[in-house]
Amino acid sequence: MDCSYFRARINHYVDGELGYLETAELQGHLSFCADCAEELAQMSEVRGAMATWGRTELAPPPGFAERVAAAAALEPKPGEATVGRVVGDALDALDDTLGRIPLPGGRTIPVKNVLGYGLAAAAVLIQVERYLRRARELKPL
Amino acid sequence: MTPSNLKWATLPDPTPAELARAADGEVEAFKTIVERYQGMVYSVAYNVLGNHTDAEDAAQEAFLRCYRKLPQYRSEATFSTWLFRLALNSSIDYKRRERRRPEPVEVPDVAAGEQAELGDGITAATLTSALHDLPNDYRVPTVLRDIYGLPYQEIADLTARPLGTVKVMVHRGRASLRLRLQAEREA
Ligand SMILES: [Zn+2]
Repeated sequence: MDCSYFRARINHYVDGELGYLETAELQGHLSFCADCAEELAQMSEVRGAMATWGRTELAPPPGFAERVAAAAALEPKPGEATVGRVVGDALDALDDTLGRIPLPGGRTIPVKNVLGYGLAAAAVLIQVERYLRRARELKPL
Repeated sequence: MTPSNLKWATLPDPTPAELARAADGEVEAFKTIVERYQGMVYSVAYNVLGNHTDAEDAAQEAFLRCYRKLPQYRSEATFSTWLFRLALNSSIDYKRRERRRPEPVEVPDVAAGEQAELGDGITAATLTSALHDLPNDYRVPTVLRDIYGLPYQEIADLTARPLGTVKVMVHRGRASLRLRLQAEREA
């Protein structure tokens, strides 16, 4: 087997997605192929640097907390029931209860979206049906 | 250097009393929470969005969502984990909404104030500029996977992309970063 076969597997290897035999096969190749071993080493270095970077805290611009607090002061109190919030919370609750629908290819979509599209489509159909009926009613005999 | 400068990770969660005051609309109490966690929220936004202007907007949006949702926070998750999710969601939503503004690469100030060496000759400056130059489609999943360690399925859900696509994007993102950083080390 050539290197491209193993190159493709290096990503699965660092993600812990290879089974026992696949791992053994890759490790066997790495033990004599310096190029593939080097690629794995470099990828591990980059991933290590990224993980380290993820633990590094950046300083927000000066005055950030003051600006956020000022914006929060303009908001209604957190618990207050405004129309937008009641609707938003209801949708969130629906989302949590209904979960997501898996689609082919591993994509998932929230059930509430499907319900939303369904309602919108129903509304359009009702309007079209009404329009057609009126058109029929108005037709001169 | 050991970047143990995660202020939020070493501090205890806000007490129930502090949270209750903030949830009751006491802005000063909320501001204390913002001051404690702003570095974490801002870092997440910067890493997802790749520039400072968008990061500030998205971080502010994350804190406002946090403020609105405070009454719903339950202590099953630690507060920082809960807020981390809000920050991720706000940043990804922001990216969906806004066109990315071109901005010259600037290296962000690390809270500790030094030019971070991330190991193996990779510095904060070289890594952030390499990340900045990745196409959005590669950067976001790669950041979520390798900077924050999220599972692929979660990244697929967050970014509304098929699982297989997300994996390919991360693999390409990694390859591109590896080649770029290797070239810079050799230069
Ligand atoms: Zn090889």
